[in-house]
Amino acid sequence: MAVLGSYLLLFTFMVAAYAAAASVAGARRRNTRLIESGIGAFYLVAALMTVASGIIIYAFVAGDYSIRYVQRYSDSVQPLFYKITSYWGGLDGSVMFWVFLLSLFGSVAVRVNRERHRELMPYVVAVISAVEMFFLFLMIIHNNPFETYLTQAPTDGRGLNPLLQNFYMAIHPPTMYLGFVGLTIPFAFGLAALITGHLDDSWLRAVRRWTMFSWFFLSFGLTLGMIWAYEELGWGGFWGWDPVENAGLLPWFTATAFLHSVMVQERRGMLRVWNVTLVIITFLLTIFGTFMTRSGVVQSVHAFGDDPALARLFLSFMAVVALFSFGWVIYRLPLLQARHELDSWVSREAAFLANNWILLFSAFFVLFATMFPTITEMINGERLTVGPPFFNRWMTPIGLMLLALTGIGPLLAWRKSTVQNLVHQFLFPVALGLTVAGGLVAMGVRVWSSGICFALCGMVFGTIAQEFYRGANVRRGMTGTDLFTAMVGLVGRNKRRYGGYIVHLGIVLMFLGFAGEGFSRDEQLLLKPGEEATVGRYVLHMDAIRVTDDGQKQMVTAHISVKDTDGADLGRMYPAKWYYRKHEEEPTTEVGIRRSFAEDLYIVMPAFELADQTASVEVHVNPLVNWLWVGFGIMALGTGIALLPERALSFAAARVPAEAVTASLLAGALLAGPAMAEAQHIDGPASQLQIFSKEVKDVTRKLACWCGGCSKLPVGDCACGHCALVKKEVTQMMDEGRDEQAVLAHYVTPPSEHSKDEVHRGESGHVLLSEPPDVGSGRLAWMLPYVLGLLGLAGAGLFAVRWTRRPAVVPAGAAGSAVSPELQSRLDDELRDLD
Amino acid sequence: MSHKAIKVGLTSLVLSLAFGGLLYSTMGEATEYYKHVDEVMTQPADWYGKKLQLHGYIVQDSILKRKNSLDYKFKVHSNGQVVEATYTGVVPDTFKDDAEVVLKGTLSSEGFAVSPNGVMAKCPSKYEAKPGAPTS
Repeated sequence: MAVLGSYLLLFTFMVAAYAAAASVAGARRRNTRLIESGIGAFYLVAALMTVASGIIIYAFVAGDYSIRYVQRYSDSVQPLFYKITSYWGGLDGSVMFWVFLLSLFGSVAVRVNRERHRELMPYVVAVISAVEMFFLFLMIIHNNPFETYLTQAPTDGRGLNPLLQNFYMAIHPPTMYLGFVGLTIPFAFGLAALITGHLDDSWLRAVRRWTMFSWFFLSFGLTLGMIWAYEELGWGGFWGWDPVENAGLLPWFTATAFLHSVMVQERRGMLRVWNVTLVIITFLLTIFGTFMTRSGVVQSVHAFGDDPALARLFLSFMAVVALFSFGWVIYRLPLLQARHELDSWVSREAAFLANNWILLFSAFFVLFATMFPTITEMINGERLTVGPPFFNRWMTPIGLMLLALTGIGPLLAWRKSTVQNLVHQFLFPVALGLTVAGGLVAMGVRVWSSGICFALCGMVFGTIAQEFYRGANVRRGMTGTDLFTAMVGLVGRNKRRYGGYIVHLGIVLMFLGFAGEGFSRDEQLLLKPGEEATVGRYVLHMDAIRVTDDGQKQMVTAHISVKDTDGADLGRMYPAKWYYRKHEEEPTTEVGIRRSFAEDLYIVMPAFELADQTASVEVHVNPLVNWLWVGFGIMALGTGIALLPERALSFAAARVPAEAVTASLLAGALLAGPAMAEAQHIDGPASQLQIFSKEVKDVTRKLACWCGGCSKLPVGDCACGHCALVKKEVTQMMDEGRDEQAVLAHYVTPPSEHSKDEVHRGESGHVLLSEPPDVGSGRLAWMLPYVLGLLGLAGAGLFAVRWTRRPAVVPAGAAGSAVSPELQSRLDDELRDLD
Repeated sequence: MSHKAIKVGLTSLVLSLAFGGLLYSTMGEATEYYKHVDEVMTQPADWYGKKLQLHGYIVQDSILKRKNSLDYKFKVHSNGQVVEATYTGVVPDTFKDDAEVVLKGTLSSEGFAVSPNGVMAKCPSKYEAKPGAPTS
């Protein structure tokens, strides 16, 4: 199975290379058959990746623990649902999942746009294939998910990290990837437009929906991440400005900017260089995000792998992409001239411009602050860090400015707003905002930033309500229906605009959640059964601390009854600690949450002492936090409306286009998850905690683990299955009375015998190398895949060039016609400028 | 055209100067030095009062906890240098003997005072996070 998978990946790499080469050659030779074959190969990549994914999922379900990746991220007692989601549980698989999704998306995008954007297609195929080639190359030489154990294959897996055995965490990565991968499509179209010179607005129309769709999944992924952090990690908040979180946020900023600035180009023909640049930057940021989280370039407290080889590969790829794409932008600058100038700063386009600048600034600020430790270390060797307070300090005003623009932008007219027009538009929203502000001051607002946020929320809400009311009123006058029907009709007539407003409404609610954080309070308590404590308006009474076991895990649960200060019973809460089998060193914290729209009562039990029955309890009161999730739901609704096809005038007659089918199918599949997870939850056999003695730990810490997944951690610290076996062996040997030296000698040959190589010695006394040594002839073995990969790339390029060259010898007439489309498009653009 | 370029150039210059200035001024109070125990303890007086993120390992059997309270006293070492630390609050699950920790706080002649919620322990095994996944 594993061998099949490995060869499949190699073959897919070759097919992708062919797709890229054939498309480029076909486009340059205007050879339809070559282009068609390129597209065919492109579809084949998707098919092959589907088969490869099938194989790895089969390996997980069947429990083929000879494959390292399977062994590392699953075990036999894991419920089926998590076995399948383990596919993307680790680095190697997630890269493969990435390619799989990209190939599927790419195929759908090509299929849908094949007729409409015929001239762009070959280059779209080539760009996507090139990206696929990079990730396939990465997999083949560096992170092959089909890698097997060279020596003893373990009989059971290590199991997925318990923190990840959570419904949100199971679907969070795929939604994130849908967003990330989806953003490759606009990039491919943008680059294809640059290369072909078809820089009219048609490529924008092709990618608008894709960007919106990807943006939605990115937002969904980020929200799921927040829910997961809030419910699973137990620190009471949802966003900690961790490098991993920031990695997902960066492309979100630029994609949001793009979604807005696209409108300016469509309406006014401005910002054309800007839009292409945004698409490229967004793509680079998705790659950068992956790079940042995988390569260990940014170190945080969280143990990421430190992987310089991977870092080098990613850096080279990003450098090539940046040089290539911006090179084309510069080359095509003459074609990217704006058709109009900015008429006035009091105009819709100026508001969009401001919004874009702020979003881009946010992206670069977050990037800078996240990379700050790395940057300072590079400059003066001193690692300086900045914490969440620094981020909050900057992002709070930035967020408020964006919120204000959300309210201001829709009220301004295109081109230029007159004073009369401003008064007419701003009167109601500003009045509403001021009323909220006045109310807050009267109530004695404590936190200024939150107070301003509430007032701005009021204003933005006023804007949206006014837009809906006025639009519906006009429509009612025209059609003679009631206001509600008119409103539905209004949304139906202009889905993108009113869908966008609904998204804004969602954003307003999310900001309410953010503002609520300013009023949160937390307390740390030490409680014994029978004791009581008061936090805010809650009285907590510790009833008992109990220990239970369900086979998969041991659970220590605090039973706490909650009353309000008047003595009314509010129910019981059960914060707990769970000790999963095989992961006893990493207990998970189960939070007790009592939700309401006004505030959450959030109880965590980070530590306990069973002997004297005391529990350290952390209590958070988080006001308004649930509006975040509600806001996201409304945002999703708005995006859905904006994504509805143009033809769907009435809901009954809606015909669903290909993009929407994938979106709803995917969303459906994702949401069907919990039912499956629930239904297939199996309780494993009763387990006991397996703990090794201190002596064994000391000895095994002196051995390096070669399982490949853990950056060569000491065996004593690594929790992989291989190390568990070694630890067992060592325990046995120590029990037999062998001392530390003897045990170590069993595993390691003295340095004199085998120079500097680290060597593992098998049971039979054979010397087994887990990897070729990095000296002498071993280096050749290391270099081989790189050389082969580069040769493959060079070969693909060579073929593309050779196939391309042939028509050059054809008489001048043909060569003349080859230039004409470029002239044609320029002519088109200029003609359009005239009218 | 050149007129426009000048306008754009000037605007960007003013904006970047303003932001740069703001960034610089806020940076000063927000930055913390990320140091290992041995780097700091060779010249401890140099670091008194500065905001630090101190990286080290907990000395075996050094964790003391006052009964019925959340007051901790423990020692952290790296490369042979040891510092005594005090902390009040809830500690993470992985806060144990020999654990690798990063402590936020300030150093004084009495030892390292860890600020509230300033104890971060590294996970004992590698945990690969996904893009966008907040981790703890």
